[in-house]
Amino acid sequence: MAKEFNVPPVVFPSGGNPSVGAAHQRHLPTAPFPPPRSANPSIPFMSFDIGSAAASTSFSAPQFAGNTIGIGSSFEDEPPLLEELGINTRQIWSKTVSIINPFRVDPNLHEDADLSGPFLFLLAFGLFQLLAGKLHFGIILGWVTMAALFLYVVFNMLAGRNGNLDLYRCVSLIGYCMLPMVILSAIALFLPQGGVGILVIAGVFVIWSTRVCTRLLVELASCGVEHRGLIAYACFLIYTLFSLLVIF
Amino acid sequence: MYDSLGAQTGLPRPPPNPQPNPFGNAFVGAGSGLIRGGLGAYGEKILGSSSEYVQSNISRYFSDPQYYFQVNDHYVRNKLKVVLFPFLHRGHWSRITEPVGGRLSYKPPIYDINAPDLYIPLMAFGTYVVLAGISLGLHGKFSPEALNWLFFKGLVGWFLQVSLLKMTLFSLGSGEAPLLDIVAYAGYTFTGMCIAVLGKITWSYSYYFLMPWTCLCIGVFLVKTMKRVLFVEVRSYDSSRHHYLLLFIALAQFPLFLWLCNISVNWLF
Repeated sequence: MAKEFNVPPVVFPSGGNPSVGAAHQRHLPTAPFPPPRSANPSIPFMSFDIGSAAASTSFSAPQFAGNTIGIGSSFEDEPPLLEELGINTRQIWSKTVSIINPFRVDPNLHEDADLSGPFLFLLAFGLFQLLAGKLHFGIILGWVTMAALFLYVVFNMLAGRNGNLDLYRCVSLIGYCMLPMVILSAIALFLPQGGVGILVIAGVFVIWSTRVCTRLLVELASCGVEHRGLIAYACFLIYTLFSLLVIF
Repeated sequence: MYDSLGAQTGLPRPPPNPQPNPFGNAFVGAGSGLIRGGLGAYGEKILGSSSEYVQSNISRYFSDPQYYFQVNDHYVRNKLKVVLFPFLHRGHWSRITEPVGGRLSYKPPIYDINAPDLYIPLMAFGTYVVLAGISLGLHGKFSPEALNWLFFKGLVGWFLQVSLLKMTLFSLGSGEAPLLDIVAYAGYTFTGMCIAVLGKITWSYSYYFLMPWTCLCIGVFLVKTMKRVLFVEVRSYDSSRHHYLLLFIALAQFPLFLWLCNISVNWLF
């Protein structure tokens, strides 16, 4: 004896026929383009009106109605994606341009640290190395981490009580001052490997990086001027290490 | 006992951990805040006493690291001269003490050329790694993994040097010199190694002259420094044993230099 299920009758109403009464049955979605809003106020998919009478009184397919209302209200209120991620492209660009001039460094631009600019630079560095045939993405990530830790420890120990460098800002500064290294790796694609030219250019770019990094560190995280040479040597070591990746 | 020794040798003996410990203070502060918020008075008693135990142990093994970074340009330049040319150092080798809050402690490196610091050893180690990378690259054997191996090899070498100095102190019955002092003294050898590797890079024949020369210089520096440390730290004064151990320290530099200055991709040679 098979138990019989109560199957509710399926009714396919003709499109937009409001003759069923106040309670609407389940509606199949018609063609989405163009949405005939005035013609079919009862189709929940098409109407983006929040709190419209049709949507609120329809009990059929409540999950669809709920979703459209939910998507409709939050989609318009969402901030743009880059803003939500905290990537301020204009600021990244202005910070990048400020690094290009090694003789005039503007520390106010680098007052708030961010990691998206350094991420882009390190990615570009890795891509240029990849063009040269070397797969160095993991190495770059590891070395930047170690270098940031090293500089963080040395700077805070030297600066003593009034050193206020935190690790986030340290990584941000090291990453931004990596720009000359990125340019070096781009130039190194066109020069013969192991030649004198690449060594000289690498030397100049390392000094450029060191100079910018030291100026920014000394002015942003308050450190005595008497420690400038000591900090500069630490930065010099870090950027020489990265230039080794490019040269050899 | 300490007073009689002090009167006997004429050199005041400073206590092992004179400097205040910022790490310890932060630890106790955080711990007591958590305890007061969460547990009752009984919990505070238990956890408070254990945090004090940890704090006293930390300050026994690691004296305040801030002390070792009070340096400036002038100190760094002169200290490098002392380390690399120890026979030119005209003054005395003992550290200057000053009374601080009723106890005797050593003056920081800015005021005392003989005080150890940690800035020079760290920078010397970094320079050694970078120069070793350049040397590898000039021989065509550079790869980032090889440089990572060299970094760890250098760390092992530093550890071996620290254990050599520490064993010397232990065998004479006293291991109470602060660990960071010993780490600093051991790290000064990397300055000599940097010179040797630099010689290897610029002109390969100069390496055969520079390496024994810097080995000898670092040996003399370590002997003179450890002589003062032994004088201060060790209770009994057994002259011949002191001298044999100091000679052993100087001779042990040679294999260490050979091992670390020979830049290659393998571990041993």
